[in-house]
Amino acid sequence: MNKHVKNLAPETTDLSRRSFLVGTAATGLVLGYAGSGIDQALAAPAAANFEPSVWYAIAPDGLVTVTCGKADMGQHVASTMAQIVAEELGANWKDMRVQLASNDPKFNDPVLGAQITGGSWSTMMNFDAMSRAGAAGRIALTEAAAASMGVPASELVVRASTISHPKSKKSMSFAEVVKSGKATKTFTADDLKAIKLKSPDQYTMIGVSVPQLDIPLKVNGTAKYGIDVMLPGMVYGALVTPPVRYGATVKAVDDSAAKKVPGFIRAVTLDDKTTTTTGWVVAVANTYANAKKAAAALKIDYDGGPNAKLSSESLLTEAKRLQGLSDSGQFFVKDGDPNAAFGTAAKVLEAEYTTNINIHAPMEPMNATAEFKGDILHIYSGNQFATRSGAIAAGAAGIDPKFVVMHQMWLGGGFGRRLDADMMVPAVQAAKAVGKPVKVIYTRENDMTMDFSRPLTYQKVKAGVDGDGKLVALSHDVVSAWPTQRWGIPDFLSPSVDKKGPLDAFTVNGSDFFYTVPNHYVRAIKNEMAHNATPSGQLRSVAPGWTFWAVESMVDEIAHATGKDPALLRVELLDGKGKNDGGAQRLRNTLLAAMGLAGYGTKQLPKGEGMGVACVSSQERATASWTACVAHVAVAPSGEVTVKKLTVATDVGTQVNPDGIRAQVEGAALWGMSLALFEKATLKDGGIEQTNFDSYTPLRMSQLPEVAVNVIANGEKATGVGEPAVTVVAPAIGNAVFNAVGARVRGLPITAEAVKAAMKA
Amino acid sequence: MPNLNINGRNMSVEAANDTPLLWVIREQLQMTGTKFGCGAGLCGACTVHLNGEAVRSCQTSVADAVGKKITTIEGLSAKGEHPLQKAWVAEQVPQCGYCQSGQIMQAAALLSKNTNPTKEEVVAHMDGNLCRCMTYSRIQKAIMRAASDMRTASATGSERRAT
Ligand code: FES
Ligand code: FES
Repeated sequence: MNKHVKNLAPETTDLSRRSFLVGTAATGLVLGYAGSGIDQALAAPAAANFEPSVWYAIAPDGLVTVTCGKADMGQHVASTMAQIVAEELGANWKDMRVQLASNDPKFNDPVLGAQITGGSWSTMMNFDAMSRAGAAGRIALTEAAAASMGVPASELVVRASTISHPKSKKSMSFAEVVKSGKATKTFTADDLKAIKLKSPDQYTMIGVSVPQLDIPLKVNGTAKYGIDVMLPGMVYGALVTPPVRYGATVKAVDDSAAKKVPGFIRAVTLDDKTTTTTGWVVAVANTYANAKKAAAALKIDYDGGPNAKLSSESLLTEAKRLQGLSDSGQFFVKDGDPNAAFGTAAKVLEAEYTTNINIHAPMEPMNATAEFKGDILHIYSGNQFATRSGAIAAGAAGIDPKFVVMHQMWLGGGFGRRLDADMMVPAVQAAKAVGKPVKVIYTRENDMTMDFSRPLTYQKVKAGVDGDGKLVALSHDVVSAWPTQRWGIPDFLSPSVDKKGPLDAFTVNGSDFFYTVPNHYVRAIKNEMAHNATPSGQLRSVAPGWTFWAVESMVDEIAHATGKDPALLRVELLDGKGKNDGGAQRLRNTLLAAMGLAGYGTKQLPKGEGMGVACVSSQERATASWTACVAHVAVAPSGEVTVKKLTVATDVGTQVNPDGIRAQVEGAALWGMSLALFEKATLKDGGIEQTNFDSYTPLRMSQLPEVAVNVIANGEKATGVGEPAVTVVAPAIGNAVFNAVGARVRGLPITAEAVKAAMKA
Repeated sequence: MPNLNINGRNMSVEAANDTPLLWVIREQLQMTGTKFGCGAGLCGACTVHLNGEAVRSCQTSVADAVGKKITTIEGLSAKGEHPLQKAWVAEQVPQCGYCQSGQIMQAAALLSKNTNPTKEEVVAHMDGNLCRCMTYSRIQKAIMRAASDMRTASATGSERRAT
């Protein structure tokens, strides 16, 4: 996390003014912050339908339901939150349940002060709050049990949802204590802070691979995703999106043919004051099949707008032009004076690295269901950023955001795509126009061509090495669209080192690595043309997905130019001097672990095969999970690359659920491989050319390499695992290809043609 | 009004003959376990069984399903305890879970004919089913586990019959 992303809504994050309450409400024991609804719940114990509106509630039957304010898109974060609560609460895992939060600010992230899920932040930032919530519940239950049993609370033992008094052999279950109605206690913020949490050696739940609570629902078809929402009287919307990604306008809509489609209700041309979409029309009908037929029958006349002629080539040409200007961009890192150091360097290397546009394509296409009920707009959609998406829905409806209720659903994949709120706009405006609840479902074609994609990036890196082969200077320019600036939330931007105004650090994170380089510049340069033509988003791992592609390729190039082993050069650069102390050593250890596990340098490989290494401190300097990869590849004479094995090591500090972490790291590593080799989107005439899984082709089972995931848990604070492994794989593969056949490829994805061309060169 | 036999029940639905079976199952019959992923036969999220064969319901018209036995994830087993479903839990396969109904239905068609598939047979049979969360290695493990459980069950079953 960038240091400044702290107080998105300061008034909701200041917990010091609140008390943490534990008490018995009508439906059981509830725990949460005062002012978050719990106090009202306690004041009105007779309320028949008390909605558990805080972090968790214990019902009189002893079931503990944790409310997760994070979007669960397959990382099992709801289950993880329950696991952290259960550890301190002393609950039996089989008594734990989870539910998903609404957008009520009381469910805001305790650190971020908003509802946003990303950055691999959730476990890291909620670990303490959930632990303390769990502990507060245990203390309250224990004191109540002590009163009932007539014994000192200090003599009680809490285990597996049971509180027992070993001396007298008395015991009470959580259910019995809750039923007794005696659990009532107020915790101030200071009380909460003063609670002594367990030390890791006392853990019985953290570090155990308990079964994820959401998995049973996902093997029998009962998990409800946004696309599965059914409301009484609901009708369906199918989109017609323009041939241009952004900037087109609708000149005229002829619905005469659509009117002949049975069940057709009407076509709604969006009037999107939030500027999230341009030129979209929704065909509304009684079924989705009919809505699609009607959509196909609409004849729409467009003005293509200012971006209608642009292509990937134009965006790249513009990026190069901007990079060439001395006053472009803002500085993200400015240490020493690389330009002076280049003058005295023994050797200077220069290289350009590129990545193409990439599409999120979660398996569940974008969708949203909107319903106006009285003054309230209800939105049903799986979303990663309820705080902002609710505001966009409100903007589309022309109402105040406080009248929007977002109903969170399980997400059929997120990967950053569902941080965006475009799907709210057609659902809201169609529902308003037809006076009925409307579910809008994107076709895969809508989903791909209107993705808030990973931007096309262009990076230029220049490195200077002194006479002893020491890296003394590095200058690194990163040119891209600025995905986070698009949100219009100043708190998400970072001040530039050269005070030239805020920059989007989510385009350069990772370039502020843990290598010691005395003279180091990083410039963040916004490609305005790409920014406008291909509104970009956060794609799993965000900037480190491209910055480490450049940095980790360049480090290898330096090693080869100076006759050093690339892995050992990294060890040398990770000397832990100055500001790199701590992180550098952890990264070095992780790299050494991966090297050992892969047998790096110990094996004689056949001709055409090679191993390559990379190591990263993704996601951000302040929130890094230390991750290293050794890729073992075979390269055919045609240039085709086959990945034989990925050995990944990652230092995550503390693991909550080891099996869950392995699943995330493996998925992330395979994402990294898919982006490195198989996924490429292109812009032509202002539109994304790839429309479905025949032309945009993520990794399939037949392309699966052997993946060895090794998790280092050294007792440091828990870090995130959903993304870092994405970023380490592409450079490891690129470096392996070089070691296999001497071909240096500097553009992603690495295609057979590019490898073949580089082999000849 | 076409008549469908779905998960052992006969149901009449109101839909034009060319309507994809997928949308009839999801919207009219409100069985939402079968998912929409691509609408073009490229992802497998919509996989159901027609007379025991795995088919893409987005590419199957309602008319083509008339007179055949349709099985969806909801009908694969009465209590969600098909050996594959148990294996999917044991191996903790799903991440987002969205592709998994289709994966399980696709795998079930394989195991109904062959409870001893090789890894290559599994890959060839499953390659049309995308998983964007990339749970492929766990899918493979779960299929192998379920296959072995089915072999054990039928071995003990025949022993019992023999005695
Ligand atoms: S939705 Fe039918 S194959 Fe993708
Ligand atoms: S589990 Fe998410 S797509 Fe397969």
